[in-house]
Amino acid sequence: MKDYKTQIKIVILCFREISKVRKFFFHIGRYFHMLGRVFARPEKHKLYIRQLFHEIENLGVNSVGIVVIVSLFIGGIMTIQFAYSMSNPLYPKNLIGLGTRDTLLLEFSSTMMALIMAGKIGSNITSEIGSMKVTEQIDSLEIMGINSASYLILPKVVAVVLMLPVLYVLSVFFGLIGGLVTGPIVGVISVNDYLEGIRWLFEPYYATFSLIKSLFFGFLVASVPAYFGYYVQGGALEVGKASTKAVVNTNILILLFDLILTRLLLT
Amino acid sequence: MIEVRNISKSFDGNKVLKEMSVVFEEGQTNLIIGRSGSGKTVLLKSILGLHEVDEGAIFYDGRDFTNMNEKTRKKLRQEIGMVFQGGALFDSLTVEQNVRFPLDMFTSQTSKEKEKRVDFCLEHVNITNANKLYPSEISGGMQKRVAIARGIALNPKYLFCDEPNSGLDPETATLIDSLIQDLTKEFGMTTIINTHDMNSVIEIGEKILFISKGEKCWEGNKDEILKTDNQTLQDFIFANKLYAQFKQNQ
Ligand SMILES: Nc1ncnc2c1ncn2[C@@H]1O[C@H](COP(=O)(O)OP(=O)(O)O)[C@@H](O)[C@H]1O
Ligand SMILES: [Mg+2]
Repeated sequence: MKDYKTQIKIVILCFREISKVRKFFFHIGRYFHMLGRVFARPEKHKLYIRQLFHEIENLGVNSVGIVVIVSLFIGGIMTIQFAYSMSNPLYPKNLIGLGTRDTLLLEFSSTMMALIMAGKIGSNITSEIGSMKVTEQIDSLEIMGINSASYLILPKVVAVVLMLPVLYVLSVFFGLIGGLVTGPIVGVISVNDYLEGIRWLFEPYYATFSLIKSLFFGFLVASVPAYFGYYVQGGALEVGKASTKAVVNTNILILLFDLILTRLLLT
Repeated sequence: MIEVRNISKSFDGNKVLKEMSVVFEEGQTNLIIGRSGSGKTVLLKSILGLHEVDEGAIFYDGRDFTNMNEKTRKKLRQEIGMVFQGGALFDSLTVEQNVRFPLDMFTSQTSKEKEKRVDFCLEHVNITNANKLYPSEISGGMQKRVAIARGIALNPKYLFCDEPNSGLDPETATLIDSLIQDLTKEFGMTTIINTHDMNSVIEIGEKILFISKGEKCWEGNKDEILKTDNQTLQDFIFANKLYAQFKQNQ
């Protein structure tokens, strides 16, 4: 009798998992369906360009502050940590600058920045589009015969894809500055050693690799939260929940793509 | 004239509209009435193509909307004005920009012409001195009126309003009703209005469709409605104490 019950439980569990998997594929399918509409030809180019500039300012330029602050701090912190872990006099002093530089170039300024941007820009996109959805503003566009997906989402995707590589460069730059300022002040490294270190064994491909990653991440950071906003149903509460879901899912996808791209492009 | 022929619509196996057929006439205010959740909004959105119907067809002056390709549909939609339940004004645009939006999208008028048209529409709904305000800065009644102004900006042949006076005080509600009726007469539009407000029914119900649980239950006009012997409709009308009293005194 007991066996029978466990068997039923297992069957129920299996069905649950299957329905989860089905849901996953449902979302993937609907996401690509949405992208299909997003990349349809825009209706009025002039309006579209105006929207694009607005989004570049709204999503990109307004993120410069946080990128600069975070990068300055992380650059400084990394320099101190590298100096600490390489305090053995056998290691060349150059390693500190090199470590800071390569970490910024390879991983921090691309991936970590994308994760931060997913939190900042992503939640902004979901809540903006989501609240337009639940207040029927999107229906309103559709009634007028406007492709709402393209009108609302395309400028955002293009703006973020353009801006993320720019933010990457800014982040690397300010991260290095952070190290340059902090290291000597804390007294773990001299200015000269640091400057020599960040030029030592420089590999330009690291930057290329990260710029390519930034393009992918930019696409994810804009399109995934847009998806969650575009299909939200209900009211303000659901919009809030959708924002959270959007950020979590975007973060997971960024890390997944980071893994895939690193495997493909770096090894 | 809009003809709805035998349409059905279900969501996840739940039949929300059942074999609905009705004709909405030109130059008059057609009302769809019914309780909350009876399917009014779904019917309206199905007519507009925001929901694809499962069965049946919809004709706009003889043009088969259901089997139209996307391109022709888009063209036809420019003849449609819609006022959503909450107004659905674009938050990021001012009152003026909201009304100008359809003009920007679909006409090649000069800024001067657009400006004139915007002023014309706003005047018609009695909005002055609010051009530069954002939707969040004006009252609910004004939002509805701006939404109507945006709805008529392209001089539509068909006007749809989803509960245009819900959430408004009785006086403003009456004003909005007569505004819609006047505009309908002036521009000869085919106007369809969703409402559960009996005052609107009595004021402007030139043609009334009563639906209950997604089915057509009664059809007529405001003179016939109070004399109906349809039990479901009676329950709906006389749920309101005032009308119940009125009925008793008769
Ligand atoms: N997009 C949808 N998905 C599933 N069910 C819906 C959807 N829209 C409406 N419904 C259901 O259809 C029924 C009628 O809703 P609606 O037309 O909005 O009623 P009302 O007459 O108040 O406008 C309700 O039971 C509602 O839950
Ligand atoms: Mg409704």
